[in-house]
Amino acid sequence: MTQFITDMFSNFWVSLGGKLLLVALMVPLIGMLLGFAEMKLSAKMQSRVGPYFAGGRWGWAQLIADGVKFFQKEDLIPEDADRPVFKAAPILVLVGTLALFVVIPFGPGLVFQDLSVGIFYALAIASIGTIGVLMAGWSSANKYSLMGGLRAAGQLIAYELPLVLAVVGSVIMAGTMSMSGIVEAQISAGFPFVLVQFVGFGIFMVAALAELSRIPFDMPIAESELVMGYVTEYSGFRFLFFFLAEYANMFTMSAIAATLFLGGYWLPFVPESTLEFAGPLILIGKVFLLTFTMIWFRWTFPRFREDQLQTLAWKVLIPLALANIAITATLKVVL
Amino acid sequence: MVTDTDLVRHLSEAQVSVELQTEEMTLNIGPQHPSTHGVLRLVARVSGERCFDVKPVIGYMHRGYEKLSEVRTYPQITALINRIDWVSGYANEIPFIVAAEKLMDVEVPERAQYIRVILTEMARVSSHLVFMASYPLELGAATPLFFALRDRERVLDLIEGVTGGRFHPNFNRIGGVKPNAGSGPTTKKTPQDLPAGFLGETNDAMNVVLDTCEEIEDLVAGNEIFRARTKGIGVLPAEVGAAFGVSGPNLRASGVKFDLRKVEDYLPYDKFDFDVVVGENGDCWDRWWVRLEEIRESVKIIQQAIDGIPPSGPLQAKVPKVIKVPKGETYVRAENPKGEMGYYIVSDGGPGPYRLKIRSASFSNISMLSWILEGVLVPDIIAIMGSLDFVLGDVDR
Amino acid sequence: MTSSPSDTEATVHPLQEFADSAAETVGGEAEIQFDTIKLRVSADKWVDALTTARDDLDLVFFSWLSAIDWANDVEAGDPLKEEIEERIELLCTVSDLTEGRRVTFSTDLPTKKPSVDSIVEVYVGANWHERETAEMFGITFEGHPDPGPLYLPESFLGNPLKKSFPLLSREVKPWPGSVDVEAMPEKPSTENPEA
Repeated sequence: MTQFITDMFSNFWVSLGGKLLLVALMVPLIGMLLGFAEMKLSAKMQSRVGPYFAGGRWGWAQLIADGVKFFQKEDLIPEDADRPVFKAAPILVLVGTLALFVVIPFGPGLVFQDLSVGIFYALAIASIGTIGVLMAGWSSANKYSLMGGLRAAGQLIAYELPLVLAVVGSVIMAGTMSMSGIVEAQISAGFPFVLVQFVGFGIFMVAALAELSRIPFDMPIAESELVMGYVTEYSGFRFLFFFLAEYANMFTMSAIAATLFLGGYWLPFVPESTLEFAGPLILIGKVFLLTFTMIWFRWTFPRFREDQLQTLAWKVLIPLALANIAITATLKVVL
Repeated sequence: MVTDTDLVRHLSEAQVSVELQTEEMTLNIGPQHPSTHGVLRLVARVSGERCFDVKPVIGYMHRGYEKLSEVRTYPQITALINRIDWVSGYANEIPFIVAAEKLMDVEVPERAQYIRVILTEMARVSSHLVFMASYPLELGAATPLFFALRDRERVLDLIEGVTGGRFHPNFNRIGGVKPNAGSGPTTKKTPQDLPAGFLGETNDAMNVVLDTCEEIEDLVAGNEIFRARTKGIGVLPAEVGAAFGVSGPNLRASGVKFDLRKVEDYLPYDKFDFDVVVGENGDCWDRWWVRLEEIRESVKIIQQAIDGIPPSGPLQAKVPKVIKVPKGETYVRAENPKGEMGYYIVSDGGPGPYRLKIRSASFSNISMLSWILEGVLVPDIIAIMGSLDFVLGDVDR
Repeated sequence: MTSSPSDTEATVHPLQEFADSAAETVGGEAEIQFDTIKLRVSADKWVDALTTARDDLDLVFFSWLSAIDWANDVEAGDPLKEEIEERIELLCTVSDLTEGRRVTFSTDLPTKKPSVDSIVEVYVGANWHERETAEMFGITFEGHPDPGPLYLPESFLGNPLKKSFPLLSREVKPWPGSVDVEAMPEKPSTENPEA
């Protein structure tokens, strides 16, 4: 029986289909889980209960109910909107997220496709979401959405640079751009890179928050100012795409941070033979810690103003990241 | 004949000026908007993120209180005017009642005055807690909202226990206060005094409010992002504020040490020991901070009043059944949570006023919006407007 | 605490000295009614009086500006007990920011086509108050930088706060007059007026 399954999956097309199916299932599931986590965690921080009625006294079915609700809503497109662009925007944003799952290593050999330019590909694909945001803001035929889209463009492009530069330190230390390669480099070095690359880790987390448009960087969706920014005119399943994309992106950004800096699916005292089973759990544990921090930040801080945001990116984060690269490269050569 | 060298020389001398044509956009903020505190409409001309002309349009909620007052008796008007600034319900009634009492030359018994002070200060605490809740929310921090409103509920429950209404107490009568009559057959005709345990519970609630103020201060005041969003934003010089008629915490944040509770004698504030909180620069941060400290000062006053209240006594002076206020005119103003609120009553000896002019605080506070919002960035519009803490009912009457 | 009304015969009111000096500086007549100083000036000296108040008397805080329509014929409410000369009285209260002394300046304008100079140059805050008074009473403020309705919609006709302007609900149901409102009546005595 197992021989039959292994044979079947050795066929390229079957395995491809299987992988696509798995990614397609994972993303909404993760989106729902993280959304639920956000609701409950924020409730605890604000001395309230959170979802309570859907699904017993725990409210676990809340997001399933939300998903169903979104699907059965009317498809509203504003009359003056640019229809093809309006429809394509959420798809682009979600595709950017889905494509990131491909290179995350869940365990030794447990990666959808181990690209030799793993991290480079990941960062490049993450930028496709930016185009989607701009398209959404432009095509909505609404001044508020346009303002949100413009703010988003400025912010997302500005924070791409610190994001990219922050990972270069890790790449230099590992000597390879492949994600599994970086984890293996941490295994053979015996310590997660964050102990040395703490500056890079910090910059990556801040830039990741900005890329996700979460508070304190949620100027594009500044709810109290622009109603919902570039997402204002979206309803129903189109809005669901944006919503899912945000939470799935939280997962992938945290997973990338965990892989590059925290050691991915490896923990120092866990024997390597068990990593095939324990690996995914370890990775998910680290991801959970990072997403908890992101949720925590969201409910604690107010939001930055656009020019303060840009100042932070250009005048603080980029010089820091460049200095980090210079020092890492010198030390790598010297030591 | 034009040679090549001639052309090249011309081109190199050509002044190329590229003017970036950014189009100016008229942005209509409101009347339905998450951040304007009611139906306020701002017509803003923005270019990019900078707005260079803001015109507020008000009147969406004009209910015509002054005209309505001309056809109502004084007790009926009391029921009407606590809806002006609905966040601090009780405080709206005070200057009106005091003005009517002045015209009638009625002396209010001491216990009633202490109760008035306690309830007015509780209304102030309630109003400032709403500000503590909504202002960080407008800047993006969602959590102080829950802390502040949770404790405001406690205060409102206490006010409801005494007066019967959370927002619109209608508790004052000319000559004193009048608690609700009881509900049973024997107590129906007898006005009750304060509910049992009210003073003790209020004391406890005020201690909880102080703890919440600490929590909010920890959460918000030390936050770099909050400071960056509010320090230096929306600076209001004191002279400009005074010329516009800005009053209350907004003016005190600009460094003017002026509090009507110390100056006017509408309630016995001289019996209590409290400070007037003054800010330094008159920016949004100072306006936030002044209100936080004012909550603490109000708690001090309430606790002193609870200690000093005469244990028993009449709650209302003897006034005739049908109130007819003698002829005369007077203006009484009070320190409302939003600023200076005053009533100019012109009485002709009848059961209702001949003319009632309501001076509401928020009307003057936001008359300076077009001055203060000139040349600011769009997110700062929200920050500045929120820091002025106005309520549309107060603006539009 | 309530204090007694002005006793002109027995004791001197604490504000009397200030009121007299203010009246002299400005050039009007002062009257203290129930702790409120009212300074009457003539309409052509309106702006000068307020300028003097701001500069010499240190009354820098602009409180409010409004008007009273003294009319013998009223459509809403009760008419005056005695016949008086019909006029529109313009009031403006200003105060200082140290001791809280306040003066209400008052001037009389004719009922037909009332008009006076605007004091926006003296106190900036008078801008909105004058607009409101203009639309409510029909007063023209000469030199106002931005006249136009403040509260009322563009298409509104009439000046609501004038005594000759009817209140719609009073047309439907007459004014109940003096009602004993301390006892609970069977039907509610507070009418809900025009929406």
